[in-house]
Amino acid sequence: MKNIFYSVLILLMVLGCSRGPGKNGNKTVFRYNEAAGITSLDPAYARDQANIWATHQIFNGLVQLGDHLEILPCIAKAWAISSDGKEYCFHLRQDVYFHSTPVFPAGKGRRVVAADVLYSFSRITDPSVASPGSWIFNYVEKTGAKYSFLAPDDSTFIIRLKQPFPPFLGILTTLYCSVIPHEAVEMYGTDFRKNPVGTGPFQFMMWKEGVKLVLIKNPAYFEFENGSRLPFLDAVAITFLADKQSAFLEFVKGKLDFMSGIDPSYKDELLTRDGKLKPGFNSKFRLIAEPYLNTEYLGFLVDPEASTVKKNPVVNRKVRQAINLSFDRAKMIEFLRNNIGTPGLYGMIPKGMPSFDSTTIHYNYDPEKARKLLAEAGYPEGRGMPPVTLSTTSDYLDICKYLQYKAGEIGIEIRIDISPPAALKEMKAQAKLPFFRASWIADYPDAENYLSLFYGRNFSPQGPNYTHFKNPGFDQLYEKAMASVNDSVRFGYYRQMEKLIMEDAPVVVLYYDQVLRFVQNNVEGLGSDPMNLLTLKKVKKVVVN
Amino acid sequence: MGQFLLKRIFYGFLVLIGVIVINFFLFNILPGDPARMMLGQRADIASVEAINKDLGRDKPVLTQFFNYLNDLSPLSIHNAKNPESYWYLDPQKYTAFIKLIPVSKSSVLVLKEPYLRRSYQSKKQVGEILMEGFVNTIILAVVAMAFAIFFGIIIGIICAVKKNSFIDRASLVFSVLGMSLPSFFAAILMAWIFAFLLGRYTGLNMTGSLFSVDDFGRGEYLDLKNLILPAITLGIRPLAIVVELTRNSLLEVLSQDYIRTAKAKGLSNFRILMRHALKNAMNPIVTAMSGWLASLLAGAVFIEYIFDWKGIGLVIVNALEKYDFPVLMGAVLFISIILVIINILVDIIYGMLDPRVRVQ
Repeated sequence: MKNIFYSVLILLMVLGCSRGPGKNGNKTVFRYNEAAGITSLDPAYARDQANIWATHQIFNGLVQLGDHLEILPCIAKAWAISSDGKEYCFHLRQDVYFHSTPVFPAGKGRRVVAADVLYSFSRITDPSVASPGSWIFNYVEKTGAKYSFLAPDDSTFIIRLKQPFPPFLGILTTLYCSVIPHEAVEMYGTDFRKNPVGTGPFQFMMWKEGVKLVLIKNPAYFEFENGSRLPFLDAVAITFLADKQSAFLEFVKGKLDFMSGIDPSYKDELLTRDGKLKPGFNSKFRLIAEPYLNTEYLGFLVDPEASTVKKNPVVNRKVRQAINLSFDRAKMIEFLRNNIGTPGLYGMIPKGMPSFDSTTIHYNYDPEKARKLLAEAGYPEGRGMPPVTLSTTSDYLDICKYLQYKAGEIGIEIRIDISPPAALKEMKAQAKLPFFRASWIADYPDAENYLSLFYGRNFSPQGPNYTHFKNPGFDQLYEKAMASVNDSVRFGYYRQMEKLIMEDAPVVVLYYDQVLRFVQNNVEGLGSDPMNLLTLKKVKKVVVN
Repeated sequence: MGQFLLKRIFYGFLVLIGVIVINFFLFNILPGDPARMMLGQRADIASVEAINKDLGRDKPVLTQFFNYLNDLSPLSIHNAKNPESYWYLDPQKYTAFIKLIPVSKSSVLVLKEPYLRRSYQSKKQVGEILMEGFVNTIILAVVAMAFAIFFGIIIGIICAVKKNSFIDRASLVFSVLGMSLPSFFAAILMAWIFAFLLGRYTGLNMTGSLFSVDDFGRGEYLDLKNLILPAITLGIRPLAIVVELTRNSLLEVLSQDYIRTAKAKGLSNFRILMRHALKNAMNPIVTAMSGWLASLLAGAVFIEYIFDWKGIGLVIVNALEKYDFPVLMGAVLFISIILVIINILVDIIYGMLDPRVRVQ
């Protein structure tokens, strides 16, 4: 008994004195938490935000996005687009080197050449890689299984498209188009996911999965700002706490430098009703709120041929318009979202997109007009109208209940059906839901991305047209827009297309989302862009000892 | 005994076959397509099909089932020549194998480590994911158990000796509280009080794993203090039970004749308690605790989630959210194997203790 007592005592003493981390001097590290967890550091799998943020620090593409979604040079210093809009010719910088790692002879990073771009792009299209980004090259010309990527010399890279596609440069800014060295993939195989080698401002140091990912400064990074070499930080450390409440407490304690988004569990602790940071926190950290290219909406299945909606009132346009007019989006944002987001009055294209049009309000709260439309549809005061089922995930139940209540006031009975996300996705793709919640986050910064959801050839499950909206006039405009390289002409078409969509009301646009970033006051140079990328190369951190 | 043992192992094997069959078909009839979960909003049919092909999910269900069995079985047949074949003996998939005998021109019989496949989400070997999680869970459960037994017995003795005193009454209240407190609530409370409010004095982290990495990635170090809060939280319930069991069992023993005799002999109270009473009072505690250890392994899910302890519970929760079937199937199988082994061990121990069990 005594022995047990002493051994437990010794165990407790050992527990008390574990070795801590070493001294860091004046080195700066940027720490953030990734609750969703990172699944892979291979840019071919950079689909969700968690993977995109981490890989964005390690890799570069030919071009990059600026803070206002302008396309800037990166590995390509200049480019030319042929007059027919089909051929893109890139001139590569000669001073870009891969990170110095053991995959290269003598551990010294090799210079990036056009053949590396060709290799990286071909890898995305390789079926055995099964990249979720393989769709990005759908517009590239193909002969057999071979895509038209050409590298005539070390510094020139050419892509040929099947047809003009003006948003293509935007697509090239996605992480899928990162340039990687074939040596690393050959050496590590599938384990390239945890041994990434790129050209970015930070290079991979170590990753203990589920615990911490550490990236350190790339001392030979090719970009400069005002004569100083980027990046300014010495390291980036990412932790993976799954519980957002715990992560929030760590942030308040100052153990994290940055926190993105907000969880309902501590929303009211941090924000006032109108979406400002509560005054008590101002001395510690600040809030950055910017538009986010994410449209939250409800979709109707509008295809009268579909068996799901035979005899369902949602195939009637006037019923859809009435639902659109039945609730107050501004109140919904204020009371259910602490004013985070912009009421979705202006159509599918979200605020923050270059062609966003805030002058035309399509549907605002107007119960009188809604009642009138309902009567015209043959259901005065909702009499004789069968109930409409709205399918959602549990996360959006509050919004759906608000709509249910308001639509009920004018006589439309909505039933809410809650499904797990995977089942909802599947049924939505198979056109099994008459009325469903959805959202669309921009893949690339061009409104075409949103309008393609209504293109007649994109019917789900082949494409992303989940509402099965079909309008020959719309399809013609879409094709015309794709043939116009000139932005202002194209944006004109976009506006006409948006008008056609909203008139037919295949969707109820709820709101345009916002990027929310909480940043400690000693962090400088962290901005925000509507694509919600995390760019750390220009961030500085003042060390307080 | 040998025959009895063989019979038990054979039954255990049958149970596992049942688990494998149910496991496979259960995950195949669930609504929702994992390929869609991997693709997100851009799930056009071409990409979905490409990914399903890569995962081997484009084949008929029965073929998929036999491929799955072949991957799991330590003795299996593989194609050694054609890298395009699903049955190709790919060293990226099968980490440890010995070729035994060729079966046909291109196929060989192989003895290998069972292949649980790779996670859909991370492409990491499922076996690797589960082993990492399992080791952490075992450590947490064992430490929680040790904590509960050690302090439970000490408090139990004090309560028994000072029967009906203030300490006894107070510990009874705490035991009832400890038993009725939901573990997820206890976990949040512990993290908030000892790591957030008092963090400056205790030096404890709200979350953390056994090994930490410093911010510059210069290596891992053992961070044993991260074990303290989750282990205590997980140990609260067994602690409460041990306290009550020890107290009651000790009181019963102390009222027996031989204790009175020992007292009459002039032994000191401490000696009577330690040498004569406690040993006999321990029996019911040992029985109760062996059962608790198994349930602690399962009950750790919430605690692992809140303290971010990288155990098998956290692995399962994450995989469920993302429809990561190989990880889920692997985890169910893994836990079944452990339960089968524990059952066989228990049967053997009963068999040794009570010969009647063997005969039946």
